Amino acid sequence: MTTVASPIAGNLVTEPGRPRSPGWLRSGRWSGFLVGLALPVAVALGWEAVVALGWNSGRLLPPPSVILRTFAALAENGALAQHAWATLWRVAAGFALGVAAGTLLGALTGYSLVANRVLDPTLQALRAIPSIAWVPLFILWLGIFEASKVALIAVGVFFPVYLGLMGAILSVDRKIVEVGRVFRLSGPAMVRRILLPAVLPAYVTSLRAGLGLGWMFVVAAEFMGASVGLGYLLVDGQQLGKPAQIVAAIIAFAILGKATDSLLGAATAPLLRWEVGFGARR
Amino acid sequence: MLTLERISKTYAGAVHALEGVTLGVELGEIVAIVGGSGCGKSTLLRIVAGLDRPSAGRVLLDGAEVTGPHEEIGIVFQEPRLFPWLTVSENVGFGLADRHRADRERIVADALARVGLAEKAGAWPRQLSGGQAQRAAIARSLVTRPEVLLLDEPFSALDAFTRIDLQDHLLELWADTSPKPTLIVVTHDVEEAVALADRIVVMRPHPGRTQAEIAVRLPRPRDRQSRAFEDVKRDVLATLNTSLVRAAAE
Repeated sequence: MTTVASPIAGNLVTEPGRPRSPGWLRSGRWSGFLVGLALPVAVALGWEAVVALGWNSGRLLPPPSVILRTFAALAENGALAQHAWATLWRVAAGFALGVAAGTLLGALTGYSLVANRVLDPTLQALRAIPSIAWVPLFILWLGIFEASKVALIAVGVFFPVYLGLMGAILSVDRKIVEVGRVFRLSGPAMVRRILLPAVLPAYVTSLRAGLGLGWMFVVAAEFMGASVGLGYLLVDGQQLGKPAQIVAAIIAFAILGKATDSLLGAATAPLLRWEVGFGARR
Repeated sequence: MLTLERISKTYAGAVHALEGVTLGVELGEIVAIVGGSGCGKSTLLRIVAGLDRPSAGRVLLDGAEVTGPHEEIGIVFQEPRLFPWLTVSENVGFGLADRHRADRERIVADALARVGLAEKAGAWPRQLSGGQAQRAAIARSLVTRPEVLLLDEPFSALDAFTRIDLQDHLLELWADTSPKPTLIVVTHDVEEAVALADRIVVMRPHPGRTQAEIAVRLPRPRDRQSRAFEDVKRDVLATLNTSLVRAAAE
Protein backbone atom coordinates (compact mmCIF):
# COMPACT_ATOMS: atom_id res chain seq x y z
CA MET A 1 0.00 0.00 0.00
CA THR A 2 1.43 3.34 -0.96
CA THR A 3 1.50 6.28 1.37
CA VAL A 4 1.53 9.82 0.11
CA ALA A 5 2.90 12.68 2.16
CA SER A 6 0.31 15.43 2.42
CA PRO A 7 1.30 19.07 2.24
CA ILE A 8 0.62 19.35 5.96
CA ALA A 9 3.85 18.39 7.69
CA GLY A 10 3.86 15.08 9.50
CA ASN A 11 0.42 14.07 8.29
CA LEU A 12 0.26 10.92 6.17
CA VAL A 13 -2.65 10.27 3.88
CA THR A 14 -3.20 6.59 3.26
CA GLU A 15 -4.76 5.52 0.01
CA PRO A 16 -8.32 4.32 0.41
CA GLY A 17 -8.85 0.73 -0.65
CA ARG A 18 -9.86 -2.71 0.48
CA PRO A 19 -9.69 -3.27 4.20
CA ARG A 20 -6.40 -4.90 5.17
CA SER A 21 -6.84 -8.64 5.72
CA PRO A 22 -4.96 -10.20 8.60
CA GLY A 23 -1.49 -11.48 7.76
CA TRP A 24 -2.23 -15.18 8.35
CA LEU A 25 -4.86 -15.08 5.57
CA ARG A 26 -2.47 -13.82 2.94
CA SER A 27 0.96 -15.30 3.39
CA GLY A 28 2.30 -18.56 2.05
CA ARG A 29 1.02 -21.53 0.11
CA TRP A 30 0.64 -23.85 3.07
CA SER A 31 -1.22 -21.38 5.20
CA GLY A 32 -3.54 -20.87 2.21
CA PHE A 33 -4.15 -24.62 2.16
CA LEU A 34 -4.85 -24.66 5.89
CA VAL A 35 -7.27 -21.74 5.59
CA GLY A 36 -9.18 -23.63 2.91
CA LEU A 37 -9.29 -26.69 5.15
CA ALA A 38 -10.80 -24.79 8.08
CA LEU A 39 -14.44 -24.82 6.91
CA PRO A 40 -14.84 -28.54 6.09
CA VAL A 41 -12.97 -29.56 9.28
CA ALA A 42 -15.18 -27.26 11.37
CA VAL A 43 -18.35 -28.69 9.80
CA ALA A 44 -17.13 -32.26 10.35
CA LEU A 45 -16.21 -31.63 13.98
CA GLY A 46 -19.50 -29.82 14.50
CA TRP A 47 -21.51 -32.74 13.14
CA GLU A 48 -19.45 -35.17 15.22
CA ALA A 49 -20.31 -33.14 18.32
CA VAL A 50 -24.02 -32.93 17.41
CA VAL A 51 -24.25 -36.73 17.13
CA ALA A 52 -22.07 -37.35 20.22
CA LEU A 53 -24.33 -35.07 22.28
CA GLY A 54 -27.36 -37.02 21.09
CA TRP A 55 -29.04 -34.06 19.33
CA ASN A 56 -29.27 -36.18 16.17
CA SER A 57 -29.07 -39.94 15.68
CA GLY A 58 -26.73 -39.57 12.72
CA ARG A 59 -28.49 -42.47 11.00
CA LEU A 60 -28.99 -40.73 7.62
CA LEU A 61 -25.74 -38.79 7.76
CA PRO A 62 -23.23 -40.67 9.92
CA PRO A 63 -20.64 -38.64 11.83
CA PRO A 64 -17.07 -38.55 10.52
CA SER A 65 -15.85 -41.15 13.02
CA VAL A 66 -18.34 -43.74 11.71
CA ILE A 67 -17.46 -42.95 8.09
CA LEU A 68 -13.78 -43.29 8.95
CA ARG A 69 -14.43 -46.66 10.60
CA THR A 70 -16.39 -47.85 7.57
CA PHE A 71 -13.61 -46.65 5.29
CA ALA A 72 -11.01 -48.45 7.42
CA ALA A 73 -13.06 -51.64 7.52
CA LEU A 74 -13.52 -51.62 3.73
CA ALA A 75 -9.82 -50.95 3.28
CA GLU A 76 -8.81 -53.66 5.74
CA ASN A 77 -10.65 -56.57 4.16
CA GLY A 78 -9.40 -55.54 0.72
CA ALA A 79 -12.88 -54.71 -0.56
CA LEU A 80 -12.06 -51.04 -1.06
CA ALA A 81 -8.97 -51.78 -3.12
CA GLN A 82 -10.89 -54.30 -5.23
CA HIS A 83 -13.72 -51.85 -5.94
CA ALA A 84 -11.33 -48.95 -6.52
CA TRP A 85 -9.25 -50.99 -8.97
CA ALA A 86 -12.33 -52.05 -10.92
CA THR A 87 -13.45 -48.44 -11.26
CA LEU A 88 -9.95 -47.19 -12.01
CA TRP A 89 -9.53 -49.80 -14.73
CA ARG A 90 -12.81 -48.77 -16.39
CA VAL A 91 -11.88 -45.10 -16.31
CA ALA A 92 -8.42 -45.84 -17.67
CA ALA A 93 -9.73 -47.98 -20.53
CA GLY A 94 -12.51 -45.52 -21.40
CA PHE A 95 -10.13 -42.58 -21.14
CA ALA A 96 -7.58 -44.24 -23.40
CA LEU A 97 -10.19 -45.05 -26.05
CA GLY A 98 -11.86 -41.63 -25.84
CA VAL A 99 -8.54 -39.80 -26.02
CA ALA A 100 -7.37 -41.90 -28.96
CA ALA A 101 -10.55 -41.28 -30.94
CA GLY A 102 -10.82 -37.62 -29.91
CA THR A 103 -7.19 -36.95 -30.80
CA LEU A 104 -7.41 -38.68 -34.16
CA LEU A 105 -10.64 -36.99 -35.27
CA GLY A 106 -9.77 -33.65 -33.66
CA ALA A 107 -6.43 -33.57 -35.47
CA LEU A 108 -8.08 -34.54 -38.74
CA THR A 109 -10.87 -31.97 -38.61
CA GLY A 110 -8.49 -29.30 -37.35
CA TYR A 111 -5.87 -29.91 -40.02
CA SER A 112 -7.96 -30.67 -43.09
CA LEU A 113 -10.74 -28.42 -44.25
CA VAL A 114 -12.34 -31.26 -46.22
CA ALA A 115 -12.38 -33.56 -43.19
CA ASN A 116 -13.84 -30.72 -41.18
CA ARG A 117 -16.68 -30.17 -43.66
CA VAL A 118 -17.45 -33.90 -43.85
CA LEU A 119 -17.06 -35.01 -40.22
CA ASP A 120 -17.69 -32.07 -37.94
CA PRO A 121 -21.45 -31.60 -38.57
CA THR A 122 -22.13 -35.26 -37.78
CA LEU A 123 -19.98 -35.20 -34.66
CA GLN A 124 -21.61 -31.96 -33.47
CA ALA A 125 -25.02 -33.58 -33.97
CA LEU A 126 -23.94 -36.61 -31.95
CA ARG A 127 -22.65 -34.29 -29.25
CA ALA A 128 -26.14 -32.86 -28.87
CA ILE A 129 -27.32 -36.26 -27.60
CA PRO A 130 -26.99 -36.53 -23.80
CA SER A 131 -24.38 -39.26 -23.50
CA ILE A 132 -26.36 -41.25 -20.93
CA ALA A 133 -29.02 -41.74 -23.61
CA TRP A 134 -26.63 -44.17 -25.29
CA VAL A 135 -26.77 -46.56 -22.34
CA PRO A 136 -29.65 -48.81 -23.53
CA LEU A 137 -28.15 -49.09 -26.99
CA PHE A 138 -24.68 -49.86 -25.66
CA ILE A 139 -26.14 -52.58 -23.44
CA LEU A 140 -27.97 -54.10 -26.40
CA TRP A 141 -24.87 -53.97 -28.56
CA LEU A 142 -22.13 -54.71 -26.08
CA GLY A 143 -23.82 -56.59 -23.25
CA ILE A 144 -24.12 -55.60 -19.61
CA PHE A 145 -20.51 -56.27 -18.65
CA GLU A 146 -17.35 -54.25 -19.11
CA ALA A 147 -17.55 -53.32 -22.79
CA SER A 148 -20.69 -51.21 -22.54
CA LYS A 149 -19.33 -49.38 -19.48
CA VAL A 150 -16.01 -48.59 -21.11
CA ALA A 151 -17.82 -47.43 -24.26
CA LEU A 152 -19.97 -44.99 -22.28
CA ILE A 153 -16.93 -43.54 -20.52
CA ALA A 154 -15.10 -43.27 -23.84
CA VAL A 155 -18.00 -41.28 -25.32
CA GLY A 156 -17.85 -38.91 -22.37
CA VAL A 157 -14.09 -38.42 -22.74
CA PHE A 158 -14.21 -38.15 -26.52
CA PHE A 159 -16.06 -34.84 -26.94
CA PRO A 160 -13.97 -32.48 -24.83
CA VAL A 161 -10.79 -33.91 -26.33
CA TYR A 162 -12.14 -33.73 -29.88
CA LEU A 163 -13.45 -30.17 -29.51
CA GLY A 164 -10.38 -29.01 -27.59
CA LEU A 165 -7.86 -30.31 -30.12
CA MET A 166 -9.81 -29.21 -33.20
CA GLY A 167 -10.31 -25.73 -31.75
CA ALA A 168 -6.66 -25.50 -30.75
CA ILE A 169 -5.44 -26.42 -34.24
CA LEU A 170 -7.87 -24.03 -35.90
CA SER A 171 -6.76 -21.17 -33.67
CA VAL A 172 -3.00 -21.62 -34.13
CA ASP A 173 -1.56 -18.18 -34.89
CA ARG A 174 -1.18 -17.90 -38.68
CA LYS A 175 1.67 -15.47 -38.18
CA ILE A 176 3.70 -18.11 -36.37
CA VAL A 177 2.93 -20.68 -39.08
CA GLU A 178 4.20 -18.15 -41.61
CA VAL A 179 7.57 -18.10 -39.87
CA GLY A 180 7.67 -21.84 -40.46
CA ARG A 181 6.98 -21.22 -44.16
CA VAL A 182 9.80 -18.69 -44.33
CA PHE A 183 12.14 -21.37 -42.96
CA ARG A 184 10.75 -23.72 -45.63
CA LEU A 185 9.59 -26.42 -43.22
CA SER A 186 8.15 -29.54 -44.81
CA GLY A 187 4.62 -30.64 -43.85
CA PRO A 188 5.74 -33.10 -41.16
CA ALA A 189 8.32 -30.64 -39.80
CA MET A 190 5.63 -27.95 -39.64
CA VAL A 191 3.45 -30.30 -37.58
CA ARG A 192 6.28 -31.41 -35.28
CA ARG A 193 8.04 -28.10 -34.77
CA ILE A 194 5.14 -25.62 -34.83
CA LEU A 195 1.62 -27.07 -34.73
CA LEU A 196 2.28 -29.65 -32.00
CA PRO A 197 3.89 -27.30 -29.48
CA ALA A 198 1.36 -24.59 -30.30
CA VAL A 199 -1.69 -26.76 -29.54
CA LEU A 200 -0.22 -28.55 -26.53
CA PRO A 201 -1.56 -26.25 -23.76
CA ALA A 202 -5.15 -26.37 -25.04
CA TYR A 203 -4.82 -30.13 -25.65
CA VAL A 204 -3.69 -30.77 -22.08
CA THR A 205 -6.60 -28.70 -20.78
CA SER A 206 -8.98 -30.77 -22.90
CA LEU A 207 -7.43 -34.01 -21.60
CA ARG A 208 -8.06 -32.89 -18.05
CA ALA A 209 -11.65 -31.91 -18.90
CA GLY A 210 -12.04 -35.34 -20.53
CA LEU A 211 -10.69 -37.10 -17.48
CA GLY A 212 -13.17 -35.23 -15.29
CA LEU A 213 -16.03 -36.38 -17.50
CA GLY A 214 -14.59 -39.91 -17.46
CA TRP A 215 -14.98 -40.00 -13.67
CA MET A 216 -18.51 -38.64 -13.99
CA PHE A 217 -19.50 -41.26 -16.52
CA VAL A 218 -17.98 -44.19 -14.66
CA VAL A 219 -20.53 -43.58 -11.91
CA ALA A 220 -23.35 -43.62 -14.45
CA ALA A 221 -21.88 -46.75 -16.03
CA GLU A 222 -21.64 -48.55 -12.71
CA PHE A 223 -25.17 -47.53 -11.78
CA MET A 224 -26.44 -49.45 -14.80
CA GLY A 225 -25.50 -52.72 -13.21
CA ALA A 226 -22.16 -53.70 -11.78
CA SER A 227 -21.10 -56.26 -9.21
CA VAL A 228 -17.87 -54.49 -8.41
CA GLY A 229 -16.65 -50.91 -8.42
CA LEU A 230 -17.05 -47.77 -6.35
CA GLY A 231 -20.33 -47.06 -8.13
CA TYR A 232 -21.53 -50.49 -7.02
CA LEU A 233 -20.67 -49.50 -3.42
CA LEU A 234 -22.92 -46.46 -3.87
CA VAL A 235 -25.88 -48.51 -5.17
CA ASP A 236 -25.33 -51.22 -2.58
CA GLY A 237 -25.19 -48.63 0.19
CA GLN A 238 -28.45 -47.13 -0.96
CA GLN A 239 -30.30 -50.44 -1.30
CA LEU A 240 -29.13 -51.79 2.05
CA GLY A 241 -29.41 -48.46 3.88
CA LYS A 242 -25.72 -47.97 4.63
CA PRO A 243 -25.10 -44.21 4.29
CA ALA A 244 -21.59 -44.52 5.78
CA GLN A 245 -20.63 -46.81 2.89
CA ILE A 246 -22.05 -44.30 0.38
CA VAL A 247 -20.07 -41.43 1.84
CA ALA A 248 -16.93 -43.62 2.03
CA ALA A 249 -17.31 -44.43 -1.68
CA ILE A 250 -17.85 -40.75 -2.47
CA ILE A 251 -14.65 -39.88 -0.63
CA ALA A 252 -12.79 -42.61 -2.53
CA PHE A 253 -14.09 -41.11 -5.81
CA ALA A 254 -12.90 -37.66 -4.76
CA ILE A 255 -9.44 -38.92 -3.81
CA LEU A 256 -8.99 -40.94 -7.02
CA GLY A 257 -10.34 -38.15 -9.24
CA LYS A 258 -8.05 -35.57 -7.70
CA ALA A 259 -5.07 -37.95 -7.73
CA THR A 260 -5.43 -38.88 -11.42
CA ASP A 261 -5.92 -35.22 -12.38
CA SER A 262 -2.80 -34.20 -10.43
CA LEU A 263 -0.89 -37.05 -12.05
CA LEU A 264 -1.93 -35.87 -15.52
CA GLY A 265 -1.03 -32.31 -14.58
CA ALA A 266 2.37 -33.33 -13.26
CA ALA A 267 3.08 -35.53 -16.28
CA THR A 268 2.40 -32.70 -18.72
CA ALA A 269 3.88 -29.82 -16.71
CA PRO A 270 7.43 -30.26 -18.09
CA LEU A 271 6.05 -29.78 -21.61
CA LEU A 272 4.38 -26.51 -20.68
CA ARG A 273 7.14 -24.77 -18.73
CA TRP A 274 7.06 -21.90 -21.24
CA GLU A 275 3.42 -21.06 -20.67
CA VAL A 276 2.71 -17.73 -19.03
CA GLY A 277 1.84 -18.19 -15.39
CA PHE A 278 1.86 -21.97 -15.48
CA GLY A 279 4.43 -22.18 -12.71
CA ALA A 280 2.75 -19.42 -10.77
CA ARG A 281 -0.64 -21.10 -10.73
CA ARG A 282 0.39 -24.11 -8.67
CA MET B 1 21.26 -8.97 -57.36
CA LEU B 2 17.54 -8.91 -56.67
CA THR B 3 15.23 -7.89 -59.50
CA LEU B 4 11.51 -7.18 -59.38
CA GLU B 5 10.00 -7.21 -62.87
CA ARG B 6 6.66 -5.46 -63.38
CA ILE B 7 5.09 -6.95 -60.26
CA SER B 8 1.30 -6.66 -60.13
CA LYS B 9 -1.06 -8.04 -57.54
CA THR B 10 -4.82 -8.18 -57.72
CA TYR B 11 -6.72 -9.86 -54.92
CA ALA B 12 -9.93 -11.77 -55.37
CA GLY B 13 -12.69 -9.18 -55.17
CA ALA B 14 -10.72 -7.02 -57.60
CA VAL B 15 -8.65 -5.15 -55.02
CA HIS B 16 -5.81 -3.78 -57.09
CA ALA B 17 -2.88 -3.75 -54.67
CA LEU B 18 0.13 -3.39 -56.99
CA GLU B 19 0.58 -2.31 -60.58
CA GLY B 20 3.79 -2.91 -62.53
CA VAL B 21 6.41 -2.35 -59.84
CA THR B 22 9.96 -2.72 -61.16
CA LEU B 23 13.01 -2.47 -58.95
CA GLY B 24 16.62 -3.65 -59.04
CA VAL B 25 18.64 -3.98 -55.85
CA GLU B 26 22.38 -4.65 -55.76
CA LEU B 27 23.93 -7.09 -53.30
CA GLY B 28 24.74 -5.23 -50.08
CA GLU B 29 22.51 -2.29 -50.90
CA ILE B 30 19.99 -0.93 -48.39
CA VAL B 31 16.69 0.13 -49.95
CA ALA B 32 13.81 1.66 -48.01
CA ILE B 33 10.28 1.55 -49.35
CA VAL B 34 8.03 4.30 -48.01
CA GLY B 35 4.47 5.19 -48.80
CA GLY B 36 1.09 5.89 -47.29
CA SER B 37 -1.20 3.11 -46.16
CA GLY B 38 -2.73 1.12 -49.00
CA CYS B 39 0.21 1.62 -51.35
CA GLY B 40 0.93 -2.11 -51.26
CA LYS B 41 4.40 -1.86 -49.76
CA SER B 42 3.87 -4.76 -47.39
CA THR B 43 2.28 -6.82 -50.16
CA LEU B 44 5.36 -6.18 -52.28
CA LEU B 45 7.62 -7.41 -49.50
CA ARG B 46 5.53 -10.55 -48.99
CA ILE B 47 5.82 -11.30 -52.70
CA VAL B 48 9.62 -10.95 -52.56
CA ALA B 49 9.63 -13.23 -49.48
CA GLY B 50 7.71 -15.83 -51.48
CA LEU B 51 4.78 -15.75 -49.05
CA ASP B 52 2.41 -14.39 -51.70
CA ARG B 53 2.44 -14.93 -55.46
CA PRO B 54 2.26 -11.96 -57.81
CA SER B 55 -0.66 -11.84 -60.28
CA ALA B 56 1.81 -10.78 -62.97
CA GLY B 57 5.53 -10.16 -63.17
CA ARG B 58 8.33 -12.00 -61.39
CA VAL B 59 11.00 -11.78 -58.74
CA LEU B 60 14.52 -12.82 -59.71
CA LEU B 61 17.39 -13.52 -57.33
CA ASP B 62 20.72 -13.75 -59.18
CA GLY B 63 18.81 -14.52 -62.36
CA ALA B 64 16.64 -17.34 -60.97
CA GLU B 65 12.94 -16.83 -60.40
CA VAL B 66 11.74 -16.84 -56.79
CA THR B 67 8.51 -18.85 -56.57
CA GLY B 68 8.26 -19.43 -52.82
CA PRO B 69 10.18 -18.97 -49.58
CA HIS B 70 13.87 -19.00 -50.49
CA GLU B 71 16.85 -19.93 -48.34
CA GLU B 72 18.71 -16.80 -49.41
CA ILE B 73 15.80 -14.48 -48.49
CA GLY B 74 14.96 -13.86 -44.84
CA ILE B 75 12.23 -11.67 -43.40
CA VAL B 76 11.67 -9.82 -40.13
CA PHE B 77 8.06 -8.91 -39.44
CA GLN B 78 6.56 -6.01 -37.54
CA GLU B 79 5.99 -8.35 -34.57
CA PRO B 80 8.92 -10.48 -33.41
CA ARG B 81 6.93 -13.70 -33.98
CA LEU B 82 9.21 -15.70 -31.70
CA PHE B 83 8.05 -19.21 -30.82
CA PRO B 84 6.83 -18.90 -27.23
CA TRP B 85 7.66 -22.55 -26.45
CA LEU B 86 11.33 -22.20 -27.37
CA THR B 87 14.00 -20.39 -25.38
CA VAL B 88 15.65 -17.36 -26.94
CA SER B 89 18.64 -19.39 -28.12
CA GLU B 90 16.41 -22.16 -29.52
CA ASN B 91 14.45 -19.49 -31.39
CA VAL B 92 17.59 -17.98 -32.87
CA GLY B 93 18.82 -21.43 -33.90
CA PHE B 94 15.46 -22.41 -35.46
CA GLY B 95 16.71 -22.24 -39.03
CA LEU B 96 19.82 -24.30 -38.28
CA ALA B 97 18.09 -27.59 -37.48
CA ASP B 98 20.11 -29.48 -40.07
CA ARG B 99 23.45 -28.38 -38.59
CA HIS B 100 25.42 -30.37 -36.05
CA ARG B 101 24.52 -29.49 -32.50
CA ALA B 102 27.94 -28.08 -31.60
CA ASP B 103 28.02 -26.10 -34.80
CA ARG B 104 24.57 -24.71 -34.14
CA GLU B 105 25.33 -23.77 -30.55
CA ARG B 106 28.45 -21.90 -31.60
CA ILE B 107 26.64 -19.93 -34.32
CA VAL B 108 23.72 -19.12 -32.01
CA ALA B 109 25.98 -18.00 -29.14
CA ASP B 110 27.85 -15.79 -31.58
CA ALA B 111 24.63 -14.31 -32.99
CA LEU B 112 23.21 -13.65 -29.51
CA ALA B 113 26.42 -11.91 -28.49
CA ARG B 114 26.23 -9.74 -31.59
CA VAL B 115 22.69 -8.57 -30.83
CA GLY B 116 23.54 -8.08 -27.14
CA LEU B 117 21.34 -10.88 -25.83
CA ALA B 118 24.04 -13.27 -24.61
CA GLU B 119 22.68 -13.41 -21.06
CA LYS B 120 19.12 -13.96 -22.31
CA ALA B 121 20.01 -17.21 -24.11
CA GLY B 122 18.01 -19.40 -21.72
CA ALA B 123 15.11 -16.98 -21.23
CA TRP B 124 11.59 -17.47 -22.64
CA PRO B 125 10.42 -14.95 -25.24
CA ARG B 126 7.76 -13.61 -22.85
CA GLN B 127 10.55 -12.47 -20.54
CA LEU B 128 12.00 -10.14 -23.18
CA SER B 129 11.17 -6.48 -23.73
CA GLY B 130 9.81 -5.43 -27.13
CA GLY B 131 13.22 -4.27 -28.32
CA GLN B 132 14.99 -7.41 -27.09
CA ALA B 133 12.40 -9.63 -28.77
CA GLN B 134 12.91 -7.82 -32.09
CA ARG B 135 16.69 -8.20 -31.73
CA ALA B 136 16.18 -11.92 -31.25
CA ALA B 137 13.95 -12.00 -34.35
CA ILE B 138 16.64 -10.23 -36.38
CA ALA B 139 19.26 -12.66 -35.09
CA ARG B 140 16.99 -15.60 -36.05
CA SER B 141 16.76 -14.28 -39.62
CA LEU B 142 20.46 -13.57 -39.91
CA VAL B 143 21.98 -16.83 -38.57
CA THR B 144 21.28 -18.59 -41.85
CA ARG B 145 23.25 -15.80 -43.58
CA PRO B 146 20.70 -14.92 -46.27
CA GLU B 147 21.73 -12.77 -49.21
CA VAL B 148 18.61 -10.63 -48.78
CA LEU B 149 16.94 -9.59 -45.55
CA LEU B 150 13.46 -8.08 -45.82
CA LEU B 151 12.15 -5.99 -42.92
CA ASP B 152 8.43 -5.16 -42.76
CA GLU B 153 8.04 -2.07 -40.52
CA PRO B 154 10.38 -3.83 -38.09
CA PHE B 155 10.59 -1.11 -35.44
CA SER B 156 7.20 0.57 -35.71
CA ALA B 157 5.87 -1.06 -32.53
CA LEU B 158 8.79 0.19 -30.43
CA ASP B 159 9.21 3.42 -28.49
CA ALA B 160 11.26 6.21 -30.09
CA PHE B 161 14.51 5.58 -28.17
CA THR B 162 14.48 1.84 -28.71
CA ARG B 163 13.66 2.40 -32.37
CA ILE B 164 16.72 4.60 -32.98
CA ASP B 165 18.87 2.18 -30.98
CA LEU B 166 17.73 -0.74 -33.12
CA GLN B 167 18.17 1.15 -36.39
CA ASP B 168 21.79 1.86 -35.47
CA HIS B 169 22.18 -1.72 -34.35
CA LEU B 170 20.83 -3.08 -37.62
CA LEU B 171 23.36 -0.95 -39.52
CA GLU B 172 26.19 -2.31 -37.34
CA LEU B 173 25.11 -5.88 -38.03
CA TRP B 174 24.90 -5.12 -41.74
CA ALA B 175 28.34 -3.48 -41.81
CA ASP B 176 29.98 -6.31 -39.78
CA THR B 177 28.77 -9.03 -42.10
CA SER B 178 30.79 -9.91 -45.14
CA PRO B 179 29.62 -10.01 -47.79
CA LYS B 180 27.07 -7.42 -46.68
CA PRO B 181 23.49 -8.61 -47.08
CA THR B 182 20.93 -6.71 -49.12
CA LEU B 183 18.38 -5.03 -46.85
CA ILE B 184 14.92 -3.97 -48.00
CA VAL B 185 13.07 -2.05 -45.30
CA VAL B 186 9.41 -1.20 -45.60
CA THR B 187 8.54 1.71 -43.33
CA HIS B 188 6.21 4.65 -42.93
CA ASP B 189 8.80 6.47 -40.85
CA VAL B 190 10.66 8.85 -43.17
CA GLU B 191 13.46 9.47 -40.68
CA GLU B 192 14.01 5.72 -40.42
CA ALA B 193 14.24 5.49 -44.20
CA VAL B 194 16.79 8.32 -44.42
CA ALA B 195 18.83 6.92 -41.51
CA LEU B 196 19.08 3.45 -43.02
CA ALA B 197 18.86 3.52 -46.79
CA ASP B 198 21.17 4.08 -49.75
CA ARG B 199 18.06 4.57 -51.83
CA ILE B 200 14.47 5.35 -50.96
CA VAL B 201 11.60 4.16 -53.12
CA VAL B 202 8.47 6.27 -52.64
CA MET B 203 5.24 4.48 -53.56
CA ARG B 204 1.80 5.85 -54.19
CA PRO B 205 -1.50 4.10 -53.61
CA HIS B 206 -4.57 2.86 -55.53
CA PRO B 207 -3.05 0.86 -57.11
CA GLY B 208 0.41 0.69 -55.55
CA ARG B 209 3.07 2.02 -57.93
CA THR B 210 6.52 3.50 -57.73
CA GLN B 211 6.31 7.27 -57.53
CA ALA B 212 9.99 8.16 -57.30
CA GLU B 213 13.39 6.89 -56.26
CA ILE B 214 15.56 9.12 -54.11
CA ALA B 215 19.26 8.35 -53.64
CA VAL B 216 20.59 9.13 -50.16
CA ARG B 217 24.20 10.20 -50.57
CA LEU B 218 25.03 10.76 -46.92
CA PRO B 219 28.16 9.28 -45.36
CA ARG B 220 27.74 6.70 -42.61
CA PRO B 221 27.37 6.94 -39.67
CA ARG B 222 24.69 9.50 -40.34
CA ASP B 223 24.07 12.49 -38.13
CA ARG B 224 20.30 12.80 -37.71
CA GLN B 225 20.70 16.41 -36.60
CA SER B 226 22.71 17.53 -39.64
CA ARG B 227 21.37 19.93 -42.28
CA ALA B 228 21.99 17.41 -45.07
CA PHE B 229 19.94 14.75 -43.23
CA GLU B 230 17.08 17.22 -42.78
CA ASP B 231 17.24 18.14 -46.48
CA VAL B 232 16.84 14.54 -47.60
CA LYS B 233 14.00 14.06 -45.13
CA ARG B 234 12.20 17.13 -46.46
CA ASP B 235 12.73 15.92 -50.01
CA VAL B 236 11.21 12.51 -49.24
CA LEU B 237 8.28 14.06 -47.36
CA ALA B 238 7.57 16.40 -50.29
CA THR B 239 7.57 13.48 -52.73
CA LEU B 240 5.36 11.50 -50.40
CA ASN B 241 2.88 14.39 -50.19
CA THR B 242 2.78 14.73 -53.96
CA SER B 243 2.10 11.01 -54.26
CA LEU B 244 -0.83 11.25 -51.87
CA VAL B 245 -2.25 14.36 -53.52
CA ARG B 246 -1.99 12.77 -56.95
CA ALA B 247 -3.60 9.61 -55.68
CA ALA B 248 -6.44 11.61 -54.21
CA ALA B 249 -6.91 13.61 -57.41
CA GLU B 250 -7.18 10.51 -59.60
